[in-house]
Amino acid sequence: MTEASDTVVDVRNDVLEPQDRPVPEGWFDRVRHGEAWRSMFRHPHLDTPRGRALQSFSNVFLHVYPVKVPARVLKVRYSWRLGYIASVLFGVLLATGVYLMFFYTPSVTSAYGDMQQLRTGVGFGQLIRNVHRWSAHLMVLVVILHLVRVFFAGAYKRPRQFNWVLGIVLLAITLGFSFTGYLLPWDQLSYWAVTVGTNLVNYIPVLGDTLRDLLIGGEQIGQATLLRFYALHVAVLPVSLALVLMIHIWRVRKDGFAVKRGGVGAFAEESTDVTPIASVTAVTNVAADGRRVRLLGVVDRESVTAEERLTDDTVFTWPHMLVRHVVVGLGTVAVVLTLGVLFAAPLRGLANPNETPEPAKAPWYFVGLQELLSHFDPLVAGIFVPAGALITLIALPYIDRNPATESRYRKVAITIFSIVLLVALVLTVLGALFRGPGWEFIAPWQHSYLEL
Amino acid sequence: MKLTRRSLLESGWKLGGGFLALIAGWTSWELLRPLKAGGASGKIKLGSASSYAPGTATYVNAARLWVANADGHLFALSQKCPHLGCRIPFCESSGRFECPCHGSVFDIGGEWISGPSPRGMDQHPLSIEGDILVVDTSQRINGPDPGAAVFLTPATGPSCSGKG
Repeated sequence: MTEASDTVVDVRNDVLEPQDRPVPEGWFDRVRHGEAWRSMFRHPHLDTPRGRALQSFSNVFLHVYPVKVPARVLKVRYSWRLGYIASVLFGVLLATGVYLMFFYTPSVTSAYGDMQQLRTGVGFGQLIRNVHRWSAHLMVLVVILHLVRVFFAGAYKRPRQFNWVLGIVLLAITLGFSFTGYLLPWDQLSYWAVTVGTNLVNYIPVLGDTLRDLLIGGEQIGQATLLRFYALHVAVLPVSLALVLMIHIWRVRKDGFAVKRGGVGAFAEESTDVTPIASVTAVTNVAADGRRVRLLGVVDRESVTAEERLTDDTVFTWPHMLVRHVVVGLGTVAVVLTLGVLFAAPLRGLANPNETPEPAKAPWYFVGLQELLSHFDPLVAGIFVPAGALITLIALPYIDRNPATESRYRKVAITIFSIVLLVALVLTVLGALFRGPGWEFIAPWQHSYLEL
Repeated sequence: MKLTRRSLLESGWKLGGGFLALIAGWTSWELLRPLKAGGASGKIKLGSASSYAPGTATYVNAARLWVANADGHLFALSQKCPHLGCRIPFCESSGRFECPCHGSVFDIGGEWISGPSPRGMDQHPLSIEGDILVVDTSQRINGPDPGAAVFLTPATGPSCSGKG
């Protein structure tokens, strides 16, 4: 259905109260007009612009989205849907994770056996574990790509500074998710990757030893570590991620959709001449055409809202955006399902504290750091570099005062970010693919030591 | 500042909130702080001191450490690499400790030779009661700083990890 046809309102159907409509004959329609149904869904399905708007306002699931979005947001290139894909992967991880919890005990004596049992004795157990594993890796990758995309689009700038910070928090939680989950199979891969990862904490001045012991629950990785990582993985981190994600999505709506801005800080595409009314929570006013307009809040001056646009280029989220999201969501699930069918999640031998495998690699997203550690002092490579990177990322929108979002006006920022990105990529590829026993250089075509 | 009922209540809320945060922090610490009990800790007898021949390194599973004899000097060396905690095996052919994770190499006395480790292998205090060697695993001494090698001798053969 085109937008032009959306605007043609059939007056006979554009009613607000369902009791005003004749009750259809079919049993399903009778249920839909019953009191129980109406108590859940306060507005019936009315296939008109007004009906869809009312349903969106009164339905929590549809209200996650704005009722209307700018037409350009529908283009894939606008965001590559990376944030949405990450959310879908989180959903897949929750669903498969709950399934896995039914078959897993966080005990050093049984965890590895549970993994083996899952592979051989549980219907679709191996597939679910594979999908969980690949979704986790993919989520880390997609969240990183989302961050990179937002940077290059300049979408972290005013008024979205805080949402960028929330995004960094979400990235940290995602990494925490993946890292804590890494230990749970209790095999050689997980044991030594987590050993290497947690020992980085030792290099924090003064508090390092205490923090590491607090994280792993003792001096060595053991039962206390497994239980702590499990509790973090299945309770603390999911709740944290869900809470921060809710605020993140809410801010996306409240901050408006990002637009290109020229070098002088003014909106190139859309005017923001409207003067905000300070400290107003609800104002009823009469517009020029005589309609009564109610403002339910004041948004930031630089947010682009429908009221500020000279021309209405918006389309209804439902169905235009929703259909696209359903397709991308199904595509994401199809990809992880295909990966799960084709590639088995690794399971090495039972964790053995007395035998370090050669090489012992950290998970791929930390292997760049491991590579850096082989060249520099651990205090520099293990603490200063990652902590510095994290602090810089968080502070970025407050450091970068250039209001422009177009790349031609942001050459310095884009060059620095690209160099850092390239270095991180080279280190990761080097550590993941080109390192063998004793951390010696070895070409991947000679022997692959890639650990996922 | 004039003390009013409102300001007193505001201060009371802040103090109460701070007190609750303190209690929550203390309780969390008590719940989550690592327990020292369990594992290999305390004094462990390692058998006769004369059973550890010069130039050898013997792994003691009960204490999870290496007992090395470097020119007649006995050391109880932690198996954990000071770099990132990997277990360090002893390479019989080279007569050196070689970490498989990042390639740190130590001589038979646990002294740093090469690699990213910030120091030599950590040690536990040893004592001899009669002829019996006793190690105190509850105490750990940081390994010697790089450059302080005393027992460094040429490798006795090829390296196990290709490092030297």
